[in-house]
Amino acid sequence: MSFADIMYFILPLVIASTVPLALVALGALFSERSGVINIALEGIMIMGGFVGAITIHLLEENAHLPIQTVALIGLLVGAIIGIIFSLLHAFAAINMKANQIISATALNMFAPAFAIFTARIIFGTQRVPIGDSYIITRVPGLASIPIIGDIFFQGAYLSTLLGIFIFIIAVIVLYKTKQGLRLRSCGENPQAADSLGINIYKLRYVGVMVSGALAGMGGVIFVLSFSTSFNATVAGFGFLALAVLIFGNWNPKRIIMAAFFFGFMRVISSTKSVIPFLNDLGLEDEIYLMLPYIATLVVLAFVSKNSAAPRAAGEPYDPGKR
Amino acid sequence: MKKLLVLVAAMVLVLGLSACSKVETYKIAMITDSGGIDDESFNQGTWEGIIDFADENDISYKYYKPLEVSDDAYLEAIDLAVEGGAEIIVTPGFLFESSIYAAQDLYPDVYFILIDGTPHDPTWTTWKTADNTMPILFNEHEAGFLAGYAAVYDGYRELGFTGGMAVPAVVKFGVGFIAGVYYAAQELEVEDDIVFNDDTYHYFGDFGPSDNFKNLALSWYAADTEIIFSAAGGAGASVMAAAADSGAMMIGVDIDQYDQSDTVLTSAMKQLGNAVQQGLQAWLDGEFVGGTSVYKGAANDGVALPMETSRFETFTTAQYAAIFLDLADGTVVVPADYDALVLFLNDATLDIPTKDEVEGTTD
Repeated sequence: MSFADIMYFILPLVIASTVPLALVALGALFSERSGVINIALEGIMIMGGFVGAITIHLLEENAHLPIQTVALIGLLVGAIIGIIFSLLHAFAAINMKANQIISATALNMFAPAFAIFTARIIFGTQRVPIGDSYIITRVPGLASIPIIGDIFFQGAYLSTLLGIFIFIIAVIVLYKTKQGLRLRSCGENPQAADSLGINIYKLRYVGVMVSGALAGMGGVIFVLSFSTSFNATVAGFGFLALAVLIFGNWNPKRIIMAAFFFGFMRVISSTKSVIPFLNDLGLEDEIYLMLPYIATLVVLAFVSKNSAAPRAAGEPYDPGKR
Repeated sequence: MKKLLVLVAAMVLVLGLSACSKVETYKIAMITDSGGIDDESFNQGTWEGIIDFADENDISYKYYKPLEVSDDAYLEAIDLAVEGGAEIIVTPGFLFESSIYAAQDLYPDVYFILIDGTPHDPTWTTWKTADNTMPILFNEHEAGFLAGYAAVYDGYRELGFTGGMAVPAVVKFGVGFIAGVYYAAQELEVEDDIVFNDDTYHYFGDFGPSDNFKNLALSWYAADTEIIFSAAGGAGASVMAAAADSGAMMIGVDIDQYDQSDTVLTSAMKQLGNAVQQGLQAWLDGEFVGGTSVYKGAANDGVALPMETSRFETFTTAQYAAIFLDLADGTVVVPADYDALVLFLNDATLDIPTKDEVEGTTD
């Protein structure tokens, strides 16, 4: 394959991995900016992916809808389930002032067990099968654009394209609107925000629910993009997304770059046999898989002073504290 | 309110305990290994075999799931099964080897069927199969052979293999697959067209789906691989997704996976149900023969391709019957390890995957 062929082969794969990572990391950003640490992303992704896959499976069997409509409904259901599931975390963290790591860990442990248990009751097996033809060979019109068309619009998934769109919208909401500013203030100095009449509890709920929606949708994107069935796993993408968030220093632009870096490393670790340069290098797959984590550790070690982590993230809101 | 809750909890406990004291016994017991009874592979095949047999003969049965993957936990589950009245215990998987080694002497009156393993002590020094234990081993290499043979006869020339982990059963699948591919190629005299070497031979290191596994398969398909045999349990779903995106095919494993994707050409099946039922039938008839391992291959319906659900275009049922007969009557002896494979093919010019790659000793 020529260099251009390799790029056209690899980049769509990298984008397919980048989008769920970036979207879920952005969800985590919403939650942390509002002041609630949400490490339950893995569990929420599994729940979203699970119910989304069931929805898609049932629609495929019973309704005669266009296949991309089915995918779209599956994504929406995944987002709704993500919201509902994340409410458990929100209630524990915001109303009950519980330790946010513990309640999120509980959700992470609950989700796969619930998925396996329920799938067995419904299907008699823990696997939820979905169709295998959700790829769009050519997006009409857009696919003919030189370079960009080849990378984004040939052999793409609706879920990927939708994910990019939602990411942009979410960033605009968080950084360019009044509501976004208020939400961010809850994670920096909630007492000050409260004194200005902002309802901390409400906005923290919103932050966690947005993270639930994005993570739930991310779970469905994972299933649609990488498998022909849901199998009670999202291969650690929820935790990866947290690493992306930290590596991206709580900043959307950097999150995109971090997700791209993670996605790129994951893709070349498994496709290096078609990249002559890397194939000649002869490094083990694991080296590429390790690199993003090592980079995250290095970043954490050196940049911790300039960390842009929200100052009040992880602290239950106490109006009496100053 | 709190008092009421305590009262309810106490009632539940009392009722629960009294339910336990009612003695029910289950004659056939199965202990699951790390997967559940619905792993669509090993445990499930075994369990379904037990259900069919038990229902047909009106015998009670039950499965026990160990608390964790350890010899002690397995032995505890066996204790529990014996307490529950088990007369014969079926354990699927090589993980049970040392717990059965202990249990067979502990419970000399109970019969054991150990699938895919031979009892040995935890340090792998003493191997002993007691008279009440029947280890059943499968000739996975024969199943892999049939799949490879069929694929080449069906017109596939560029092939790949992905395994979950380089455990003995998976390695044997791969060795047999290579043998089948090149054996068919030699029959058809198309050895020079076959592309199947180290570049398309890989162990994932895991049995669940992942973007990495899909991308790996995509890169092979992009490099002109036409079909991938995936002996990797649930990770096969990622290979199916890659095949669907690339308009290519794959081969499933263990059970008939035709309904999981339109890209499944055929499946290299282990007839777990048959094997378990044969063992149970012997026990029921009072003809249980323990003490030595039983091998299930083509000769005793232990392996097969699901011809009715396969998506072959040119490979016919008659061709399948012919090669199956060759395997069954020993005309063709499929190699089970790499050294035997080299002797079997007997052609040093062939570009087959290397020993390190096949045995998983390299990456």
